[in-house]
Amino acid sequence: MTASARILDHFSKANGSEPIRILGASGQLGYGVPTPAFSAGLERKPHLIGCDMGSIDIGPYYLGSGELATAPAATRRDLRKVLLGALKLKIPLIIGSAGSAGAKPHLEQTLAIMREIAREEGLGFRMGVLRADIERTVLKEALRLNGVTPIDGMSTLDATEVDAASNIVGQMGMSAFQRALAAGVDVVVAGRACDTAIFAALPAAAGFPVGPAQHMAKIIECASLCCVPGGRDSILATLDQEGFEIESMAPQRRATPVSVAAHSLYEQSDPFTVQEPEGRLDLARARYHALDDRRTRVVGALWEEAREPWVKIEGARHVGERAILLCGTADPGFIANYEQLLQEVERVVRDLVCEDAAEDYALTWRVYGVNGVRMTPVTRNAPPGEAFILGECIAPTRERAAEVVRTTKQYLLHHGYEGRLSTAGNLAFPFTPPEVSVGPAYRFNVYHLMRASDLDALFPLEIETV
Amino acid sequence: MQLQDLAQVVRSKNAGPRRITLDVIFRTDAEYQRAAQSEALTAEKIAPLYGVAVDSVTVINYPLGRAIKIVVPRQIMSGDPGDRDVYGAQQHTPLLKLEI
Repeated sequence: MTASARILDHFSKANGSEPIRILGASGQLGYGVPTPAFSAGLERKPHLIGCDMGSIDIGPYYLGSGELATAPAATRRDLRKVLLGALKLKIPLIIGSAGSAGAKPHLEQTLAIMREIAREEGLGFRMGVLRADIERTVLKEALRLNGVTPIDGMSTLDATEVDAASNIVGQMGMSAFQRALAAGVDVVVAGRACDTAIFAALPAAAGFPVGPAQHMAKIIECASLCCVPGGRDSILATLDQEGFEIESMAPQRRATPVSVAAHSLYEQSDPFTVQEPEGRLDLARARYHALDDRRTRVVGALWEEAREPWVKIEGARHVGERAILLCGTADPGFIANYEQLLQEVERVVRDLVCEDAAEDYALTWRVYGVNGVRMTPVTRNAPPGEAFILGECIAPTRERAAEVVRTTKQYLLHHGYEGRLSTAGNLAFPFTPPEVSVGPAYRFNVYHLMRASDLDALFPLEIETV
Repeated sequence: MQLQDLAQVVRSKNAGPRRITLDVIFRTDAEYQRAAQSEALTAEKIAPLYGVAVDSVTVINYPLGRAIKIVVPRQIMSGDPGDRDVYGAQQHTPLLKLEI
């Protein structure tokens, strides 16, 4: 009997009389799962291990390039740990947003690691694989039917941008995971997914109320981040027919009513509602109270079924090749006039590198110590004693980007200006070469909602016997 | 009193790639009430600090978490060429010196 069949059967017989325990192993699988708290969690005999592996917060590069954000060795270590834990207890393991961005290349790399671990450890299990890639033809058909809406002021999507995106994914919700669990599996590995769906799908399928299940999922998807002090340690949620209890598996981390309630704010624009493909979580009447100084009980979350499912879609396109220049300065004359001097050097460089070529690149500056970090204008204080200068060029080819930053380096180093004392060089290089070819640059060009009448077809399930 | 001396947490982070969410969390209900009732944390006061239109700023009081949430649009989307803070985790500083 598979793990999902065993657990669903168990709760079907319990008929609401027994709570379900969910272990949130990691909010970012691949950055390390602390063993003591994870082992403590296993000792509590959970009915599910859930792990979120990705996010859009890491920027467009990973989605665009197909690369994982996490190191291969650390990813393998974490996957081995959670897989062995789940198989030992014969409970389902659910992994969402595989490989950081959850598109096909990320999913394939994650699956390859799972198969390798199985071979090395001599393991056998049934694995449900859920794909999150949105076919271009499906998306174009949705465009034709006016079924695509921009999010937060994004431009209207068109077919050209759909074709330009190197990967497009949709965030799957609970129903996709429930299909996998119903098919009888030990492990589910999903492409891009709502982080809440990873943890809420099984309890909802086992007959627990969806509101508290979704709210519980929202709290534990970042592991012990909802505690004081917050951290990465595994967390246990115990859900019943009315509400749920939260307890960190690291003894020093306390889940208090305020810390748990405050977590509803995290990376959300609205603390009272969470939108999911299948509905809307309403937290306006949620209540939190302490069971003791480390555990909090939560009740009152409501779930409102969506009349029409929608899916958040994400895509990233290549915008050129990036090269950067790393250097510093301590010269007060240079720092005082840096804006003008950088502009002068930009013009000198343009006249040289565009003598026989188009102005086909963008050169941007961040001057750390002065205004490198804030997106908004900084009130000018006394100039700093030192500044770090990051020059960035995005050009059509790697060679062109390298040409621009190498030329820029030389003319910035030797740029002459009124009142200059340091005539042997304006810059300090921490090492040479100070110019670095970073590789392809991407930007998000799809961040939209798509109407989806058939979620099952959008997120197809494959079953693999490993 | 400045916000940085009153609050326990003043943080920023992306809420999706096109918005920044700023959470201000207080140690006590009294400190939360003082900030929530002050004129400092209003869309009118915050919009110029982030160079955005007043009607694009949302301020949500969240007494259960002793927190005030502020959402502002990004001028440059996360990770776009020219962005300075892909995660949006260092955009809280304009709030620190607000007088409460």
